[in-house]
Amino acid sequence: MELETIRSYDWGIMAPELIILGAATILSLADLLMPKKASRRYLAIFAFLGVACALVALFMQLDNGVISILADTYRFDSFSKAFKLLFLIGTGLILLLAFDDRKGERDEYRGEFYYLLLTALLGAMMMASSADMITLFVGLELLSLSSYIMAGLRKRDRQSNEAAFKYVVNGGISTAITLFGMSYIFGLTGETNLYAIQNALGDPTILQNQFLLVFAFLITFVGLSFKIATVPFQMWAPDVYHGAPIPVTAFLSVVSKAAGFVIMIRFLLVTFIAAPGVAEKPLLQEVQPYLAILAGASMIIGNLIALRQRNIKRMFAYSSIAQAGYILVPFAVISGLMFEAVWFYLLAYLFMNIGVFAIIQLVTAKSGSTDISSFAGLYRRSPWIAVCMTIFVLSLAGFPATAGFIGKFGIFMSALSTGAHYWLAGIMIATTVVSYFYYFNVIGQMFFRSEEEAGKVSIPGGVLTVTAVCVISTLVLGILPHTALEFFYNQFDLSQFFTPTK
Amino acid sequence: MMQYAWLIPLMPLLSFILLLLLGKKLKEASAYVGIWLTAVPLVMSFIVFFGQWGGESYKAEGTWLTIGHAVITFGIEINPLNSLMLVIVSLVSFLVHLYSKGYMNGDERVPVFFAYLGLFTFAMLGLVMSPNLLQLYMFWELVGLGSFLLIGYYYFKPEARQAAKKAFIMTRIGDVGLFIGMILLFWQVGSFEFDDIFKAVASHEMTHAMITLTAILIFVGAIGKSGQLPLHTWLPDAMEGPTPVSALIHAATMVAAGVYLVATMYPLFAASTAALTTVAVVGGVTAIFAASIGLMQKDIKRVLAYSTVSQLGYMMLALGSGGYVAGVFHLTTHAFFKALLFLAAGSVIHAVHTQDIEKMGGLYRKLKRTGPLFLIGALAISGFPLLSGFFSKDQILAATYEDGRFGLFWLAIIAAFFTAFYMFRLFFMVFTGEFRGAAKEVHESPGVMTFPMIVLGILAVLAGYVNTSWFGTFLSDYLGKGEVAPLASNHEPIWISVVATLVSLLGIFMAYLIYKKGSLSRDWLSRHLPSLSSVVYNKYYIDEVYHAVIVRGVRAFSYGWSLIDRYIVEGIVNGAVALVHWLAKLGSKCQNGQVQTYGAVAFVGLVLLLLIFAVSGGYFS
Repeated sequence: MELETIRSYDWGIMAPELIILGAATILSLADLLMPKKASRRYLAIFAFLGVACALVALFMQLDNGVISILADTYRFDSFSKAFKLLFLIGTGLILLLAFDDRKGERDEYRGEFYYLLLTALLGAMMMASSADMITLFVGLELLSLSSYIMAGLRKRDRQSNEAAFKYVVNGGISTAITLFGMSYIFGLTGETNLYAIQNALGDPTILQNQFLLVFAFLITFVGLSFKIATVPFQMWAPDVYHGAPIPVTAFLSVVSKAAGFVIMIRFLLVTFIAAPGVAEKPLLQEVQPYLAILAGASMIIGNLIALRQRNIKRMFAYSSIAQAGYILVPFAVISGLMFEAVWFYLLAYLFMNIGVFAIIQLVTAKSGSTDISSFAGLYRRSPWIAVCMTIFVLSLAGFPATAGFIGKFGIFMSALSTGAHYWLAGIMIATTVVSYFYYFNVIGQMFFRSEEEAGKVSIPGGVLTVTAVCVISTLVLGILPHTALEFFYNQFDLSQFFTPTK
Repeated sequence: MMQYAWLIPLMPLLSFILLLLLGKKLKEASAYVGIWLTAVPLVMSFIVFFGQWGGESYKAEGTWLTIGHAVITFGIEINPLNSLMLVIVSLVSFLVHLYSKGYMNGDERVPVFFAYLGLFTFAMLGLVMSPNLLQLYMFWELVGLGSFLLIGYYYFKPEARQAAKKAFIMTRIGDVGLFIGMILLFWQVGSFEFDDIFKAVASHEMTHAMITLTAILIFVGAIGKSGQLPLHTWLPDAMEGPTPVSALIHAATMVAAGVYLVATMYPLFAASTAALTTVAVVGGVTAIFAASIGLMQKDIKRVLAYSTVSQLGYMMLALGSGGYVAGVFHLTTHAFFKALLFLAAGSVIHAVHTQDIEKMGGLYRKLKRTGPLFLIGALAISGFPLLSGFFSKDQILAATYEDGRFGLFWLAIIAAFFTAFYMFRLFFMVFTGEFRGAAKEVHESPGVMTFPMIVLGILAVLAGYVNTSWFGTFLSDYLGKGEVAPLASNHEPIWISVVATLVSLLGIFMAYLIYKKGSLSRDWLSRHLPSLSSVVYNKYYIDEVYHAVIVRGVRAFSYGWSLIDRYIVEGIVNGAVALVHWLAKLGSKCQNGQVQTYGAVAFVGLVLLLLIFAVSGGYFS
């Protein structure tokens, strides 16, 4: 390729990614060169500033149209900016959480955590801004590999070790499955660019291999479902969420999960939109029942097993399986409201779930146990923290006047907008009712139990900021949802999504 | 005035926020914040109510969010029905705030209590002012949250915690129906606005089957909230909450929200005979079912709770029989006399520190104001002539009869007999005879508690005169002004009134004979009612008959129903819960911590998917 061509690309559009890359590099060098005994806690502030700069850079680019670099291996479009926004906000909040996590303890690996978080973020961002199978996969692996190490960051903690081990093994299986599916797609089309694949799959000659095509779709889908932790790839989540340090759990359950949805939507929808199915129907319509069953199973399994958990981290791990099931609904029914439903729910989920983990971090650090009884009598010990937790939990349960309600409402509307998905909507509502039992268990502990231990829970600055931001956002998105939705409608033109770059 | 109406619900919300922020500093003074911030909405509600008398319906709304192309609005609406509800809610709420000042005196968590009351009042007022279904639904849930917090107020009692949870989750089950019905309506009509929905119904845009389906789904929501069969079991348990809360939430306002919902959506229901029949049958069966259980309860509040379930059934029966005005009328009168009964019961509990009626007795002499006021409430609910309950119950019976639902009509008559009987059983056991309790000194409640009861007592007597065939049909005229309300006819057969009166007098008399007679001289009957005594020759014989026929019969009947309640209705509910738990147990067993299992599950899942697809897609054929 000519140097001229390479120089002609608008490399400035990669500014957010480049900022994160730069920040990660500087952090890793600083960590290496700093004296061994020096506290690395304040590196979090630098990392946070990096994320903030990337966010500013992204905002400055909002008005750009589609920009493609190197045959769509990097693609800036409405889809990528909408979701990169979520990743950046989520990671920023998690950095603030990590800043205050176990701050009294000597922790020589703290520095590593910050730049690994940034490389994971970089991977997620690449997953959002690529339309080529190869760079998508590289982004996915960058995210995965960083996450594996983060899960096992507490080297001397057995649970953390176990979590990392399980995560790596299961992650390896999922990568193998994903690649297997992708290899079929490549084999059938000979292309790696998503739009080229789309084009090739729309060709009638593909009909000779119609079964293989559907298999390729299902295999890739199952492989990718590892990241979003839905059935049948959900089993790892409780163990890993339980064992990993809390900021990592928050990252896995929010940012990493959102990235999983992003690659799923980007890769599967763009490539298969015109593909034929086995019967007369298009492929995407044909696989709908299967996706719907997997979504329904995730909601049922997540919500049912959460009922039996006494450990708060495990409970929210199952809750996050169920939440992923809800988000899968608009994708499974492929409704016209899909993008906004998924985006809004992920936004709402980001705030409410990070908020939950912020408070779990505070409360469990104080009590030294992750049993649900650590929350007993919290309302009398620290009323404000209890009220915030109540708001997050109500939002996760989909209670009106919170972001979660609007999110669920949107998903529900999308489920019923394309016709006969009553049973899926029914499962969603029924499991939501079930979820009230365990969410209310937490509320019951906080309000209706006497404290087992005395003492106010003090709230350090970083966590305070996170909690405040999350509470305000959860309420604002619940009471004035049009603020976010209008921004979405104005800024994001998702017709760019399906059409190739000219 | 109407343009300021939106301030009405915000005052209690302000009270909630203020008390949450400053409660710890204000302590006892919190009550005044709550009282003042419900007094203002009360005045405003009255102004709105009378302003509505001559004026048009008022509606103000703005865009709230857009989903796809659909615009969803948020705002307020004032029409005859909901301005009436505004008055009921803000009045009862104000009186309960006042009463609680005395009742909760000495409780160190008073600020929290008044904060919760504020939250509830805000939600309830917001609910009745909603111009569209979605907004109504949101407040509907918020009301449930307020109820949950208040039932669980005595959190240190495990029963209260259980009851709070049960109440919230049982009503949520009903809400599933409401939610699905609401979204279905939206996709049919393209709007959540009541007006648009009614227009679509009127112009036959919706198929008849869809109208029936959505109406019944919405009614399922009302069943949960209003404690109708089979989702009623939470309401008696909810009596674990403080008594003023029972008066406000579980008698006058929140439980009536289900009735209000059906009344608000009336054009939808009226368009489907099947939906109306469902409402009528559920209401009628609930009325007699709950009344019969009320006959044998020993806890003063539980009797009143079953009575509430039964009376709500009456309202549903009226609405299902086309008696729109009768249903709303009974809702109004019931709000007053049932709130009165609860507050009076609270006053009794306050005095004797027990809820067991076996441990009461002879309190009429000691509680000089509570006694007569309770009697007024009991007479009103029993349908004693010229008191409010008499008129409203009469119209329900008339509506049922005119609608040709004779089976339900007779059930309602029997239920009226039961009502009179259990109310006066309660009255005689609590207020007459000898005191059987342990409390040494029994004092009448302070004025701050008796004043609200006096106001409600006056209303329990007079509220009926807003809608009588011979005094004036103000309420019908008022409600009829709104475009949606079909009028109930006013020429009810006179014999219905006579039968209803006789039945309720008979109930009172029976209760008197059984629960009071022992304390009077033996020849009371022959002295006062010589003609009757000659017919009833032998008092032992009478006793035997009463005992065999009435007491045993009633007891068996009541027992039978409570068995059905306990083993079948609760059995189904418990069975569902057990199933959920069993599945959960099974699921968590699979989570054995073995990483190879996890991988295997993923593989098996994938293979199953491919296999099912291959088989169903015809790969092997």
